[in-house]
Amino acid sequence: MANSQPKMSRALQRRENIAGYLFMLPSLFFFIGFVVAPMIICIGYGFTDANMNSKTASTTFVGLHNFITLWQDETFLLALKNTFMIVLVSVPAVCFFSLWVGSAIYHLKGPVLSAFRCIFYLPVVTGSVAVTVVWKWMYDNYTGILNYVLKGAGLIEENINFLGDERFALWCIILILFTTSVGQPIVLYVSALGNVDTTLIEAAQVDGANDIQVFWKVKWPQMMPTTLYILVITTINSFQCFALIQLLTQGGSGTNTVMYYIYFTAFKLTEQRGHFGYANAMGVVLAIFIGLLSAVQFKLAKEK
Amino acid sequence: MKMKKLIAGALAMAMALSLVACGGGDKPTGSQGATPPATGSQSGSQTPSTPTENVADAITVWVYPVGGWGDEAKVKPLIDKFTADTGIKVSMEWLAYADGDDKVNSALTGGNAPDVIMEGPERLVANWGVNGHMVDLADMIDAEDRAEILPAALEAGTSADGKVYLYPMFNVAHCMAVNYTAVKEAGAEANIDLETRTWTVDQFDATVKALHDKFGGTVAAVYCAGQGGDQGTRELIRNRYGTKLTNADHTAYTWNTPEVINALTDLKNLPGIQFDASLQGGDEIAKFYQGVLKMAFCWNAAQQLDPNSAGTGEGKTLTGDEIVYMTFPTQPGKSPEEGSGVWGLGAFDTGDEARIAAAKQFIKYMCDSENCAQAGDISNFFSCRSKAEGVEIKSSNPLLVEYYGKMMPYMGEYYQITKGWAGARTEWWNMLQRVGAGDDIAATVAKYEANANAAATAG
Repeated sequence: MANSQPKMSRALQRRENIAGYLFMLPSLFFFIGFVVAPMIICIGYGFTDANMNSKTASTTFVGLHNFITLWQDETFLLALKNTFMIVLVSVPAVCFFSLWVGSAIYHLKGPVLSAFRCIFYLPVVTGSVAVTVVWKWMYDNYTGILNYVLKGAGLIEENINFLGDERFALWCIILILFTTSVGQPIVLYVSALGNVDTTLIEAAQVDGANDIQVFWKVKWPQMMPTTLYILVITTINSFQCFALIQLLTQGGSGTNTVMYYIYFTAFKLTEQRGHFGYANAMGVVLAIFIGLLSAVQFKLAKEK
Repeated sequence: MKMKKLIAGALAMAMALSLVACGGGDKPTGSQGATPPATGSQSGSQTPSTPTENVADAITVWVYPVGGWGDEAKVKPLIDKFTADTGIKVSMEWLAYADGDDKVNSALTGGNAPDVIMEGPERLVANWGVNGHMVDLADMIDAEDRAEILPAALEAGTSADGKVYLYPMFNVAHCMAVNYTAVKEAGAEANIDLETRTWTVDQFDATVKALHDKFGGTVAAVYCAGQGGDQGTRELIRNRYGTKLTNADHTAYTWNTPEVINALTDLKNLPGIQFDASLQGGDEIAKFYQGVLKMAFCWNAAQQLDPNSAGTGEGKTLTGDEIVYMTFPTQPGKSPEEGSGVWGLGAFDTGDEARIAAAKQFIKYMCDSENCAQAGDISNFFSCRSKAEGVEIKSSNPLLVEYYGKMMPYMGEYYQITKGWAGARTEWWNMLQRVGAGDDIAATVAKYEANANAAATAG
């Protein structure tokens, strides 16, 4: 009897494992079909001169040619610079702002807290196209409200061409990205702050810690997993900034990003030989950068 | 328990069926008796004919918003008539210029190309045609057709190796427009010759100056946010000192010339003209229609008939100001060359003979039958042929008749079939952005022309 017990457990374990895998199977199917397989195909195509016109131009293996050409492509280098600019400005700004807002509102009572959550989350749930169109109206060179207000306040004499002037365009994009990115981090921080162990806070206060010390020594370490998640997600979103560029500037006025250039090369420059291969190579390089930056963030957060 | 299993089984079956239903079932199969896709363009109460043998009974047609063909309500009766006459059901899809190319290119890559497409030679011939995606329609054009079709339009629809990838339907000369009410208020109406609709560079500059002095701000925009409506800026710039942007063979770009550099320099220094990287052609039309801009460089007969496609009246802005169409300004004594717009139908090589046959039947119906006149009328442009099947084609709309007489004689050659056109267009608007940003004009023109030629050679 004593010997049969482990055998029963193993059988039960096996059945549970099988059931578990069966439950995973549908999502695994989609994950492999729509994530893993395209990734492998993308990497493979990056080493070819694949193009849309396979009837007249066959695909051949070109080795590292695409990856070498990238570093001599002025447009790609500018797009990469802009992409990093967006990431470097947007990620810290989103994290700090959402942490600040989260800290300010998490202790508020029910309806007021909900109202703030709604206000900050609204741009997230609103369609990106709708949000972008409204911003486009506000930025308008001729009839935009921003020019109207700035002129009315006497701050400017001539209208500013926000989206048509390279001194402003990228910053305008970053501002929209910021407003659409802070909603989720604020909600996450409010939730994380609410889950901080109050006994530790009370103990620290009894030991004489001030508010700043309580925040950095007690609350902040407990929010690290949330912060790490926010950092990684915001970084990825910033790297993949596409819709705003597509809808507002089409990569002009010094706002080209790697994501937009990938799309443009793949679907607009179809007459160009090897355009799919080149776009895929860009995708691989972008993925490497995202992976590296995420790894650094994980490493730093772990050390903390 | 059994009931639960039954329900679970039924749900699983329903899910599986829904997945199957999602899997590419919206394309016609091409064979006779295939289930047609749901369409809003089918004939109503009329008894449809039956397609002849080896002709598919359903096709898909994708249409770029070319003039009035962008208006579903105007097109639908003709499509219904086609279905009633031939028994071929048509699934229409209207594309936008903003992402239409992406949709077509994705469809071509995925093997889901439509049967018929309506657009211009720069796409149908210079891009999809020469790259093997289109069917050669040369067998549809006999000697009589050649005599009836405008030679320049047929030439534009034909590739260098003599294959016809676009059956010409209608054409128009792209021009510019001025807010005549504003011009009169500014006291500059002497510069506008309402009889000839032509003017010199000096008259244009004087009008811009007068409007700028009267209203301030931007009178007209050299829009360069993208390629939309870029024919306007091209024609404005190349007409100023009279030059060509490509060579005669349409094999290379030749815009690095003193004429282009001088034209850009003049425009850059002209108060009231702004190189605006926040506008494309469509945006410019909207601003002109709203009365914000006093001139538009992206104009044609369809716009004159229905400015901004707003349905608020012929030749009027939103506020009721009078719009006057004009040629692009030239040097004294020089004849203007308006931008050439040619559109027509092409058939994608889907590999299904029955579908290709049905596609050709559709093209024949629209481009070479007694319905040709109606198809042309819908566009608000001008038919590319004088007669079709013995029926004379002539517009009866007085505005179109006037436009035809005043603008069409100045229609220039169709150079948009030059190799690497998609890349060259990108270089063009990027070049204008750099000029607008204050870069050295000569160096910028040289750089972007070289880029355009490099892309054309690499293609």
